[in-house]
Amino acid sequence: MANIKLTDSLEFPDSASPMRLLISVGVVGVIASLVGVVVNTEQFLFSYLFSFSFFISIALASMFLVMVHHITRSSWGVTLRRIPETFSSYIWVFVLLFLPILFGMETLYSWTQEQYSWFYEGLREHKSPYLNTTFFIIRNVIYFSIWSYLGYSLYKYSIKMDETGDWGIDTTLRKISAPGIFFFAFTLAFASFDWIMSLNFDWFSTMFGVYFFAMSFQALFAILILMSLYLRRQGLLLNTITRSHIRDLGGWLFGFSVFYAYIAFSQFFLIYYANISEEILYYTARFEGNWEILAFIFLFGRFIIPFILLLPKKSKSNYKLLFAVSTLIVFSHLVEFYWLVMPPLHSSFSFHWLDLATFLAFAGIFMGMFFYFFKRQSMIPKNDPKLQESLSKH
Amino acid sequence: MSNTSAYVKEAPLVKGNHTFSSITALVGDIVEKPTPLWWYIAFGISNLVMAMMFVMVGWLIWEGTGVWGLNNTVAWGWAIINFVWWVGIGHAGTLISAILFLFRQGWRTAINRFAEAMTIFAVMCAGLFPAIHVGRIWVIYWVFPLPNQMQMWPNFNSPLLWDVFAVSTYFTVSLLFWYVGLVPDFATLRDRVKNKLAAKIYGICSLGWTGGNRQWQHYEKSYLILAGLATPLVLSVHTIVSFDFAVSIIPGWHTTIFPPYFVAGAIFSGFAMVMTLMLIARKIYGLKDIMTDDHMEKMNIIILVTGWMVGFAYIMEFFIAWYGGVEYEKFAFVNRAIGPYAWAYWIMMSCNVIAPNFFWFKKMRRSVTVSFILSIVVNIGMWFERFVITVTSLAQDFIPGSWAYYSPTYVDVLTYVGTFGFFFTNFLLFLRFMPMVAIAEIKMVMPQADVHNYDENGELLEDKH
Repeated sequence: MANIKLTDSLEFPDSASPMRLLISVGVVGVIASLVGVVVNTEQFLFSYLFSFSFFISIALASMFLVMVHHITRSSWGVTLRRIPETFSSYIWVFVLLFLPILFGMETLYSWTQEQYSWFYEGLREHKSPYLNTTFFIIRNVIYFSIWSYLGYSLYKYSIKMDETGDWGIDTTLRKISAPGIFFFAFTLAFASFDWIMSLNFDWFSTMFGVYFFAMSFQALFAILILMSLYLRRQGLLLNTITRSHIRDLGGWLFGFSVFYAYIAFSQFFLIYYANISEEILYYTARFEGNWEILAFIFLFGRFIIPFILLLPKKSKSNYKLLFAVSTLIVFSHLVEFYWLVMPPLHSSFSFHWLDLATFLAFAGIFMGMFFYFFKRQSMIPKNDPKLQESLSKH
Repeated sequence: MSNTSAYVKEAPLVKGNHTFSSITALVGDIVEKPTPLWWYIAFGISNLVMAMMFVMVGWLIWEGTGVWGLNNTVAWGWAIINFVWWVGIGHAGTLISAILFLFRQGWRTAINRFAEAMTIFAVMCAGLFPAIHVGRIWVIYWVFPLPNQMQMWPNFNSPLLWDVFAVSTYFTVSLLFWYVGLVPDFATLRDRVKNKLAAKIYGICSLGWTGGNRQWQHYEKSYLILAGLATPLVLSVHTIVSFDFAVSIIPGWHTTIFPPYFVAGAIFSGFAMVMTLMLIARKIYGLKDIMTDDHMEKMNIIILVTGWMVGFAYIMEFFIAWYGGVEYEKFAFVNRAIGPYAWAYWIMMSCNVIAPNFFWFKKMRRSVTVSFILSIVVNIGMWFERFVITVTSLAQDFIPGSWAYYSPTYVDVLTYVGTFGFFFTNFLLFLRFMPMVAIAEIKMVMPQADVHNYDENGELLEDKH
């Protein structure tokens, strides 16, 4: 049997780590955000929630990808798997990062306030068995416990396989993943209801959890492409993460761009078509004034342009094009979260410096953690039973 | 690298150490050998049942939709339920043949051919119901936007019209996809059959296939393109079917999760149907080496996953019906669970959400009996899902004075039963005259076809690492 040898070094060298940059970005972001807390608490909280949603969506989507990878016994992505594994390994950090939202929930979520518009007469009382502070906290404790456990154990066992070379761990990982996906689906849906949907607590959509997932999963593939290209640029894993792996990522990105569009459109379309006041106000608020511009940015940025550009087979292995499209999609993902989170605060879109400050703070922390953990281990699951198959992929 | 006992290796896709020619013989013999007696019996029964369907349809057209159990509020009864159910069944075929193909899932090759055949016949059964439901079937062509002197057009804003386009496009592409896949196998049969006339017919069907390099290139390319086209189509069909309900503002119908929920439900019921047919077919034709227990296990996992997707949607719907605070929505859902049709709701819940949980256990996933029973249970459950959606949402409408209990008439029931006759008549013809397994494709996924599976001396490796 043709035995393809690993020719690349699996150590992530210090020289490739953008740690210094990330620390400075993070420090600037954190200081600016702290200033923001004092200057404009309300704006800070909304900007914070927006940045929080963006980064946790990447971590959660990563966790889902790892679990799906295990239960389907996929081989194509083995060489890539350490990246999402690392992203989701430190979801526990988000427990701490969630605290500002918890402390600021009376500002963020109008259902916590006694005073609210006459329009919602009775609704707050009706929803109070679900939307109340205590239950909100309990639910979030449940979400974060499940995710922290899953993210950390998927990582830990994979590392253990690196060290011991025990292929039996593959079975353990699948045994974690199968129920993991089950719990993931429900917790993710309810978390998206709690964090984002309940900002407008009059509004409801059964699709919202799926919508949040579809957004995140699409963005994850863009992030993975950017990460792989970054490693390539640093001259790392050139024969391990090959053109064919990146081409597959491109294929997934294309597929999930369509999936995202399908879900987002279905949700919008059904509400638009029925045009009843219980639901339509959510969208009318988001199509008013210059909010509409944002909607068009992500409509083109994460569906129409990527769809056209990624459709030809060739473009899926064109690194420059993939880089451009992935950047556009990540940006659009950001814009879409902004569009979901901000309208309760501002009736028209106006960029605030705190949006950038909280984003930089999160970027510094999230990516800093990533490189911190990524450096400590081999960059790929080097003793995975499917590694050979993944390496010989063409 | 160490290899411990806890590691479960993936099983080969074809068992029994077959050679390429023994696979051809295994599948080809089904068509070439004389027709077995059971086939005539089954075909006869199917024909009778199908004839009953034609009688019922004839009676309906003669007498009008009054022969059905429809009433004031439930103007959409069994016909739409059966339509959605049959279309849903069809989806698994396309999923197996197109989506799993794009995902490079080699195991699809054992079941794709007859799953696609199932798709085509199921869509035909489905198409019957809206067609006969229009009332005046002699003007059925009005569903198409044909220019006419009356300046009369179908309503382009209606999902029912989109259905016409979606289903007919889907049917066409599925048929083409199926046929393209059949071409190399028709050629195999052409070269094997002894009967001159049969050879001639298979020869015509195989479009001059010689198995040349260029032909394979074109074949692979067209197969990929058709798979790429079929994938969005399968999503669009059930999405639009879900729009039939969800665009309206009927409580219980208007909910945003409907599109992906319907698609998941369709795949769920379709896989269950493929399972039922597969277990029967492999028993009768002795195809256990091709349709192995591992295939069964994989399909059961898909049934479990899609079952929970449907379960997820049920739970979301119920939660949001309360959370939304819309009085009518809440009533519709509570009424489903404890109202006059609660029996149907709980059949649906137990068949679709509770029953598939047996498949969490490996033993159950690999048990033929359990798989067979559950596959039927799931199909019953999915029929009731459509019943619950359609009937419970309509029966108790906004005016309590018009509430009446909906029950079907014998015409409803016998028409539905009759479609099984239609389905199995076609399916039996398919089993008899066409290769029921994709011979050319299955050879590509055999351990013998894997270049990494031989040692330096050209001997087959027993162990894959």
